[in-house]
Amino acid sequence: MKSSGGGMGGGGMGGACYTYPGAPATPGLTTADVTFNRSIYMNGSMTMDDGRNVTIWGFNDDGGGGMGGMGGTFPSPPIRVNQGQLVHTVLNNEEMMWLHTIHHHGIEPSTENDGVGHTSFDLQGTYTYQWLASHAGTYFYHCHTNTPLHAEMGMYGALIIDPPEGPGRAFAGGPSYDVEAIWAVDEIDSSWRGLNWDAGTCGGDVGLNVLNPDYFIISGVDGAQSALTDSRVAVKMNRGESLLVRYINAGFLPQTIRFGGLTGSIVASDGRALPMAESATSIDSVAAERFDVMITPSSSGSYTVEIDIKHWVTGAVLGTARTRITVN
Amino acid sequence: MKRRNFLKAGSLGVVGAMTGITGLITWSSRAYSATINKTYYITDGQIPQSDGTNVYFKGFSSSSGSLNVPGESLIVQEGDTVNITIVNTLNTTHSFVIDGVVDSGNISGGSTKTISFTANQTGSFMFYDKLNAPYNRVIGLHGGFAVMPQGSSDELYSGSRTFKKQLFWVLNEVDPAWNVRIQNGQTPNTAFVPRYFTINGLSARPPGAPEYSDPNRDSGYDPRTKLSGYIGDRTLIRCLNAGMCEHSLHWHANHLEYLTKNGQVRNSVWLKDIIGIDNNMGQFDAIYPFEPPPDAYPAVTQGHYVMHLHDEMTQTAGGGLYQFGAATAIVFK
Repeated sequence: MKSSGGGMGGGGMGGACYTYPGAPATPGLTTADVTFNRSIYMNGSMTMDDGRNVTIWGFNDDGGGGMGGMGGTFPSPPIRVNQGQLVHTVLNNEEMMWLHTIHHHGIEPSTENDGVGHTSFDLQGTYTYQWLASHAGTYFYHCHTNTPLHAEMGMYGALIIDPPEGPGRAFAGGPSYDVEAIWAVDEIDSSWRGLNWDAGTCGGDVGLNVLNPDYFIISGVDGAQSALTDSRVAVKMNRGESLLVRYINAGFLPQTIRFGGLTGSIVASDGRALPMAESATSIDSVAAERFDVMITPSSSGSYTVEIDIKHWVTGAVLGTARTRITVN
Repeated sequence: MKRRNFLKAGSLGVVGAMTGITGLITWSSRAYSATINKTYYITDGQIPQSDGTNVYFKGFSSSSGSLNVPGESLIVQEGDTVNITIVNTLNTTHSFVIDGVVDSGNISGGSTKTISFTANQTGSFMFYDKLNAPYNRVIGLHGGFAVMPQGSSDELYSGSRTFKKQLFWVLNEVDPAWNVRIQNGQTPNTAFVPRYFTINGLSARPPGAPEYSDPNRDSGYDPRTKLSGYIGDRTLIRCLNAGMCEHSLHWHANHLEYLTKNGQVRNSVWLKDIIGIDNNMGQFDAIYPFEPPPDAYPAVTQGHYVMHLHDEMTQTAGGGLYQFGAATAIVFK
């Protein structure tokens, strides 16, 4: 196990503690079936429905060029592969001012490729995460360095494994769908903005135990109003078609999603098909949990999907993100 | 264990004498019922948190001179007669309760009480002080209790999926402002704002930190908590939440077989990398299968991973110190 022993990192990393800088060779590196290149941005922003801009950090698709720090899409661009493929996720973190990793959440690779700093390394340089896409389903990827802060700041994106033949079914032999929605539901505490990447790592109270979110978003779109109509989130479909909702609790707090009066069929969770599908008009979830839900509306109409984000002690609804399924 | 289809009543066999059965990673089954005697001492004191801050706790302790938070876990077998003696060394009134099984009623300061019951429901349970709820529980008076099926050493309930090892994970959070009020005989008068997050009373340390790898201080190395095994060492986790917060648990390297939630056998066994646990005595049982991590290339059978709570506020101590919260190690030997 590598350890910086609580000491300083190198190259301008200031007073970071309990970080484990490194950029080793990937064990058993071989030719991948598909490669994704990711760099870091820490000066992104998201404009909320009330007009405020909130700072966002994330990963860019840099095409291998390694241009970090230039702002980028939020959520980070998806990683989408077919079951059976050998995947390379190349993270370029050549900037010397900060450390990050990619943890492919729900993917279960070797220790070196798991993206957890204290069991392997926090990336300083460039590293190729090598992993096998063995189970179709819904996952996500996120930074695992000073995770309370980095994940809250937005460092995540969807990770989808399609069946070997490609998109169209939830999993091999599973239900087919005509329309797909990826809803990563997250809460944002704007008061956490302004912290350094290594905030709190050496001790001191920087408030990372208290999350008081003031915005509630779906896949990077404000759930106050915009997500009701934004085409990145809202669904338009025809009667007779089937919708696969890939619902990701991308926040830290418990959520309840309600399907606006529609009844769904939960066919998979956490990247694993269920032994038998379970019908649901709402689902309770906790942080980082995923549910794949088939919805086949039998009548046209407009269905408002609501996701309550709840306090972890009181259960009080702190906010509700909304989107819409319009069936023609 | 409450089952949807049927409830298997405890069958009484020959009553033998057996004492001192406590928390075990492996369990030897018996063909007969036994009498189990266990004494807990209600004590109090300070316990240093992962950033060094001392915080006041009370516990169901194993001796009058110790402070155990949580109390030492107790595993018995279906049909056993269980005699629990509570020695209250404090001057405050407390109780010992297993919901649906036994309730001691008030045990006044300085007094001793023995309660007896027959263990006739298999499964995982929390014992706790139900008085002054939730304060006496949250201040540390809680622990894990399990009833094994009669004659079985590897099942959660008769006919369940099997395991080789078993662990209790008792979760709790600490708001020192509450503990100070309770120490002073007062009722907390502020909202619960947790600053420390524990599994079996301890928090994690990263490499290089003071107390890193100390099995008595680092939840990553506490043998009660750490997931450690060879391929095939299927490990049952009996997870009980003594705390005030709803949580999300996330395991790296393997999905778990999710068997029960809040004492109910689930309709079917889902494979999960996240399992939620309700606050205020939520619970679940799940098996970590110790299968080769399926997405490794080249394939591996060894490695060092983590289990951590994914409500990431829990990964801190005192408002910072990432990696000093509720987490443990997963070691594929």
